[in-house]
This record gives sequence, C-alpha cells and structure tokens, in this order.
Amino acid sequence: MERQQLSIIHTKGSLDWAYPTFILASTAAAMDKQVEVFFTFYGLQCALKETRHLRVSPVGNPGMKMHLPVGPDWLRQIDMNRSLPGFLWQLPGMEALATWGFKKQLLAHGQVPIEELRALCVELGVQMTACQMSVDLMGFREEEFIESMQFAGAATYFAVSPEQQSLFI
Amino acid sequence: MYKLDCSALACPMPIIKLKKVLHENAQENVFRIQLKDKGGLKDIPAFCRQQGLHCSLLSEEPVIEFEIRR
Repeated sequence: MERQQLSIIHTKGSLDWAYPTFILASTAAAMDKQVEVFFTFYGLQCALKETRHLRVSPVGNPGMKMHLPVGPDWLRQIDMNRSLPGFLWQLPGMEALATWGFKKQLLAHGQVPIEELRALCVELGVQMTACQMSVDLMGFREEEFIESMQFAGAATYFAVSPEQQSLFI
Repeated sequence: MYKLDCSALACPMPIIKLKKVLHENAQENVFRIQLKDKGGLKDIPAFCRQQGLHCSLLSEEPVIEFEIRR
C-alpha cells in the first residue's frame, strides 16, 4: 500500500505559528505518513538553525490571549491583551515580555521548546524544503538553515506534494 | 510490560513518545501509557486503530491510563 501523504505550506515567521506546523507534521510522521513541509516567505524564519529570534506579539493579533504565567490566581485569569490598551504592547520590551510569557505558558502546559519539536520532526523523517526564491528574495544564506533542509522551487514541491491532504499555515 | 509516563506532556508528545517506544521495543507486546492531556482520550485510541494496535482504557482519573497490545 502506498504511504499516505501530508503536505504543509508554512508561511508565518512568529513563534506561535511554528507550533501548529511542527505539531501536525510530527504527529502525521509518527502515524507513518510521508510528510513534506514547504517553507516560504516569512515561514523561512522557522527553519533557521537559530530560533531565539522567533517571537510572539499581541500587536495586530487580537485573537491572542495573554495571561501572566506567574502571580496570584485572580491576576493570572485576566486577559492582558484585552484589558490593556493596545499601544502599550508597542512599547520597547513588550514583545520580549510577551514572548517570555508565551514560552513559560507553553512549558507549563507540557509543550517542548520549538527547536526540540523541530528536531523530532527531522528524526521522524519529515522532509523540509525551503523555497529558493524566498531565500534569495529575503536575503537568507543557505548555511543559516538547519542541516536537513533542501532548497527548491514551487514546481519541485508540487511534483512531490500529495493528492490527498495539504495545509496552508 | 513496558510503562510510559507522559503525564507532564501535551499533544503531540505522548504520540511521538509512544511511537518511539513501540519502535525501540520490538520484542515487547504490552505497553501502558499514562497521560493527563485530555485530548489523549481520543488520540491514543485513534493512533492505535490506525497502527493496528489493541488499546483499552484502564482509568481516566486522576491520570488517564491505556493498555496497548500489539
């Protein structure tokens, strides 16, 4: 029987959006599906060796719930993104603060750091391809990407992408 | 019997760990997995169905525990 396939086109360059892609990719690979992730435009940020620059911000992101990861219960229940005026999140240091809180929240809920989850994907045989055009357009160098990364264009992607299930993230 | 404690882990880690353990212990036929992630109540049986494994729920509280047989 031919292996079922999953293909994910990853276009987002923030820490929060890296999780759905690697969670779905690793799960599908663990279920013996052949998984291909195609990184394009800002999504390339999630495929770099360096991950410390990946951040999350409530600016322009009204769906993001922001809870303090520390402090008394009544304080932790408040959604800071809704209750504080939006401009506050544009002040210097606020993005770093939001990212710190997000990472703490993730770990408290049993998630693993993003580079660990990504390494598991590689170990499980997830094939990762960076869009060559985006790499050139955005001024990345090939050596900035993780070892297993391949570089190709859209045609190469469509030549191997499945007929069954594709996700755009 | 092989015991796997995933009570501190959320989706997708229990599935990934289970897959690894199944692969690394090819001679073992019975596995027990513990978790707290409620999604696992449906996810572990779904994974087992897809992988052709037998799976039975032993407990839901205070931790979720499944027994899995090849």
